[in-house]
Amino acid sequence: MEAKKYWNPYLAGALLGLTLLATFLVTGGGLGASALPKRVVALGALAASPEWTAANPALGGYVEAGNPLRNWLVIEVIGVLLGGFIGALSAGRFKATVEKGPRISTRGRLRYALAGGVIMGFAAGLARGCTSGQALSGGALLATGSWAFMLMVFAGGYATAWFVRRQWI
Amino acid sequence: MSEIFPLVFANDEIRLLTAVVLGFLFGFSLERGGFGNARKLAGQFYLHDMTVFKVMFTAILVAMVGLYTLVGIGWADMARMWVNPTFMWAQVVGGFMLGIGFIMSGLCPGTSIVSAASGRWDGVVTIAGIFVGTALFTVAVDVLPGLESLYHAGEMGVSILPELLGLPAVPFVLVVVLVAGIAFVGAEAVERSFRARRTQVEHTPRPVPLLKFALAGTLGLVLVVGLGLRPAPAEEAAVRPVAGDPVSSLELAERIIAEDPELMVVDLRENAEDRVPGAYPVAPDSTARAVLAGASAATEVVIVDGDGSVDVIPASWPAGPTYRVLRGGWSGWDAEVLTPAAPQSSVPSEIERVRRQNGISAYFSGAGTQSPQVAAPPPAIPSGGGGAKPKRGGC
Repeated sequence: MEAKKYWNPYLAGALLGLTLLATFLVTGGGLGASALPKRVVALGALAASPEWTAANPALGGYVEAGNPLRNWLVIEVIGVLLGGFIGALSAGRFKATVEKGPRISTRGRLRYALAGGVIMGFAAGLARGCTSGQALSGGALLATGSWAFMLMVFAGGYATAWFVRRQWI
Repeated sequence: MSEIFPLVFANDEIRLLTAVVLGFLFGFSLERGGFGNARKLAGQFYLHDMTVFKVMFTAILVAMVGLYTLVGIGWADMARMWVNPTFMWAQVVGGFMLGIGFIMSGLCPGTSIVSAASGRWDGVVTIAGIFVGTALFTVAVDVLPGLESLYHAGEMGVSILPELLGLPAVPFVLVVVLVAGIAFVGAEAVERSFRARRTQVEHTPRPVPLLKFALAGTLGLVLVVGLGLRPAPAEEAAVRPVAGDPVSSLELAERIIAEDPELMVVDLRENAEDRVPGAYPVAPDSTARAVLAGASAATEVVIVDGDGSVDVIPASWPAGPTYRVLRGGWSGWDAEVLTPAAPQSSVPSEIERVRRQNGISAYFSGAGTQSPQVAAPPPAIPSGGGGAKPKRGGC
């Protein structure tokens, strides 16, 4: 099956925006992605040492809140997986592959992906959210810190792009 | 009238179930936009594919305009919305770092899930890295005092841009829409000039001008509706519920007889022939404010209407006094206080009730010499308990 074209970006953005609006209205909060890793880490930390978890600046709030994984944003990520899978499958885009530019090996590309992931996990912890929870959701709410975060994501990306161009172009 | 949104769920399981549906739509629209493809996302930072900017800002505009419109017409309550608290320096540094990670991985945390779900191994590896990085931060913020102070640096609490800049929300939203519209035009131009020089991953179809006009038109219309409707519901919504419990007619009557100094009676009915003694007619709301100016925090204001159905008061009424509604309104007063009662049974408590009611009734219907009897303790009643307390009202 020939892969279908991606949607017009404004159309995909409108559907994403309506989904985000519905999420605000239904839950009183936005969408997110980095809540899942954070809550998995909280679960592990709670199992290892509740005292350490309670004293941790980033995890303190999770001690008395019950099971950290019983959370709207955690379950939402399951939905994202399903939506991404069905979306790719129905468009003929599901393919076990590695996305990379022509000038880098698969191994090299995966190293970059891992390092980028580690940096983003660290950064999302520091910023209390990622592009979904801060830039997208906080941006639509006009939260001050979310707009600062969003501008800095673009700044960081453009500042680094030249150094990693071998990977993409 | 209170705001409908955000919804309140009685059942937590159903609330959690909405996460699967909305998460599905989130993942689906990201995939359709091309956000499962790291090469396409990376194109944003080499300027030949501005899809990230276009999808993201369209989404922000739609959600922002929709939400602020619903807040404007009084359907959604911003105060009950969870807004990301601002920790300025933590978010500036964290954002910059995340941008570095973004261009290295080609994905962000949300899109890495979509990438993995569409079979991309770079997405799977990115997710693994995010878990490691999250754990790393959690440990580091505990160990390094410098990182912990950065984590809390620039704390501003919940801060909204229009409030921070002292601007009303609706014009501010309008300005954001206009600026984004100009930025979309700019992004198209940049993309066109860089696309010629770079190999294209996969061309997104050229946006149909019609669609852009339709989108701009819809956003504008929604905003105009939001602006136009804004003042009307503000007045309609300017009521608050009556906080105190209702007062029975007999209790009110006893307090009038006892000349309770903390009692104030206001009558909402227009052109009524009879009123509760001492009641202030407050039919036009402007007179109410003058009357209520005499009420203190200790005052109990009893509200009389036709049938006791009133349950809200204008928000302009002072907040100090306790407001209570006369149960049954004027009809209740008429039936219980102005009409002598006949005993329903020969139980002593019932006879006592009728005695009290008739005493009060006689007082108010003009034969008012029996008032001492009302205040006097009842004659000895053989059975204790229930007999001592008069059974109130007819409901």
